[in-house]
Amino acid sequence: MAAKPVRKGIHVDHSELLCKKGCGYYGNPAWHGYCSKCWREEYSKARHRQIKEDRELAERLQKEEEAAYASSSSSSTTTTSRPIAFSKFEEKKTQEKARKVNTVKKFFTTSKTPSKRSMLLCCPNNFTMVRQHSVESSQAAGEFQEFLKLLRKPAAQDILKRCRACIEGIAVFILLPMFSFQPFNNFAFAGSLPEQVEKTMDNVEKYIMTRLYKHVFCPESTEDEKKDLAIQKRIRALHWVTPQMLGVPINESSPQVIDMVEKAITDIIEMDSKRVPQDKLACITRCSKHIFNALRVSQNEPASADDFLPTLIHVVIRANPPRLQSNLQYITRFCHPNRLMTGEAGYYFTNLCCAVAFIEKLDAQSLSLTEEEFDRYMSGNASPRRPTQEPSSLVDELSACPVLAPLHTNLLDLQELEKQQCQLESNAADLDRALVAWDGSVAQEVANVARKLPPKVQASISSFPLLLAEVAASPSGPLDSEVEDSITLPPPLLPQPAGS
Amino acid sequence: MAGGQGTGRSFSFKVVLLGEGCVGKTSVVLRYCENKFNERHITTLQASFLTKKLNIGGKRVNLAIWDTAGQERFHALGPIYYRDSNGAILVYDITDEDSFQKVKNWVKELRKMLGNEICLCIVGNKTDLEADRHVSVQEAEEYAESVGAQHFHTSAKLDRGIEEVFLDLCKRMLEVAQVESSRADGTSRHGTARRGVQIVDDEPQGQGGSGGCCS
Repeated sequence: MAAKPVRKGIHVDHSELLCKKGCGYYGNPAWHGYCSKCWREEYSKARHRQIKEDRELAERLQKEEEAAYASSSSSSTTTTSRPIAFSKFEEKKTQEKARKVNTVKKFFTTSKTPSKRSMLLCCPNNFTMVRQHSVESSQAAGEFQEFLKLLRKPAAQDILKRCRACIEGIAVFILLPMFSFQPFNNFAFAGSLPEQVEKTMDNVEKYIMTRLYKHVFCPESTEDEKKDLAIQKRIRALHWVTPQMLGVPINESSPQVIDMVEKAITDIIEMDSKRVPQDKLACITRCSKHIFNALRVSQNEPASADDFLPTLIHVVIRANPPRLQSNLQYITRFCHPNRLMTGEAGYYFTNLCCAVAFIEKLDAQSLSLTEEEFDRYMSGNASPRRPTQEPSSLVDELSACPVLAPLHTNLLDLQELEKQQCQLESNAADLDRALVAWDGSVAQEVANVARKLPPKVQASISSFPLLLAEVAASPSGPLDSEVEDSITLPPPLLPQPAGS
Repeated sequence: MAGGQGTGRSFSFKVVLLGEGCVGKTSVVLRYCENKFNERHITTLQASFLTKKLNIGGKRVNLAIWDTAGQERFHALGPIYYRDSNGAILVYDITDEDSFQKVKNWVKELRKMLGNEICLCIVGNKTDLEADRHVSVQEAEEYAESVGAQHFHTSAKLDRGIEEVFLDLCKRMLEVAQVESSRADGTSRHGTARRGVQIVDDEPQGQGGSGGCCS
């Protein structure tokens, strides 16, 4: 049962621990599962042959590359100007150290480091791989030197010296673990703050790993590439797995959730483009945060691992990140172990490893399907999204496709809007008519009232042309009535003396 | 990487939470770290990775608590989660006999894979539902003693007994870490080597045992 660990850490399967030849000694994954003795016997012949072939290959490649380089430098001057001064300096240093490197090589071959490629790199005439730095390498070198300027001088020089030695060392021995930072504590860094040491280590890691990326990422001496292809194929074959099968508790119809899932997918794909283990971890962390956001929107409570892991698996299946196994292996091998084992990023990384292990071992039972269903889906003869019968209705079919579903709802919304718009327009027309009618009735009313009003008032509301016309039609009427009115009025009161 | 690294006077420990789904793993850890239960204003976005700083007898301890997915389908992923952990909290629901069986399986597996270097806490959660109890106190406590684990009763809902679980676990992890560091003075790599051997010895049994549990 125990899931075969994705990473070769301390806990490995029993079968992997014993020598494959069955001599009773413990084997080592680095020796393809053999013990030291068996490995030496098994591979010494093959290796010698390999060395020869590699050397021939290297020479041929060297010639080709030189030819290509010559033609490119003659055709354009821009390419030749790329390697900056620092790189040239490196080149000189490398040549200086060539002899030293060879002695180290001897030391390591006796300890059976299975890096065939190291032989290739050791060929004294093959320096092209170290010489031509990529843009990232040059950039990292510049940044690193900037950083070192901030440090105390002896310390900075010490670090730079160590890093260069390390780069040359590691470029040769691919499986060599990251060089120990321990000496910093009692060497030039005595008395420094822990934060400063930490920061220095981060920068050192950034510099070294950027420079060495090409050699140590997915090295030829391991089977990373094969595993990459296997997991990629596996995920592609599992495209039909629905969130419901995994028990993903997110609400896929909410545009907000969809947006966050998309962001998570982007982040996990982006991981491959980063060079430094820390940056790769940061991508995983960002991806996880987006997943947590999506879960929060869907559930409205803090997400537990019960919710998180299925969602992460769902995201990985949808994203199918490039070179997934290589990236995981690279982080396992080169990230600072403390960070990987205890920090939050380490937790997310572990979850990603779990997700990958789950995808590798996924079967009918783990998706709560029957064997037949699973086989049919895997063979592509059926799809859970498309039932075996013709879809009974449009809605059924749409609900099967996560992309079309929001489109469909949007269309429905638009139709509804259009209907409402029509309604609104007809209502507006009604209102218009009603207004005109009301206008007329008001004018009529005003006219009626005005007819009964005294002429002074009429004059004050002369702005009504209708009224004016009426007044003009009967100029004497109102005047007459005024006269009549004044006759019927009682006579005005006269002032009388108070004392009479 | 024996964990429990102490720089100066501070230690960091990794603790995994194991147990079936729905036994309240998340509630227990949320109650401990945030002192909240099922409330709207829980500040954390997630309850799957939480940290807590403690001070035990003048020693600073950083706890990193790793939640694990409890669904049966993810059981096989356990080793990836609990490798290099210093402690494990195994939660079961006192109203659910099945969840106690799961705990037993976990204990067996952990002891086989990690030996005695991992400190175990068995936690019977949901004591607020005492009336529905299906796992007898005596049975649980006897079992815990037989495997060298501490047994606790908690209620995340009523905030009972949770602090004690973590405090006891921390104390025991500290002891282990100190013994280890004093031993590691001479031969630092020896400890890890021995740990590896232990796995080799017991792996076949582990496969047998968990095969049974999965059926």
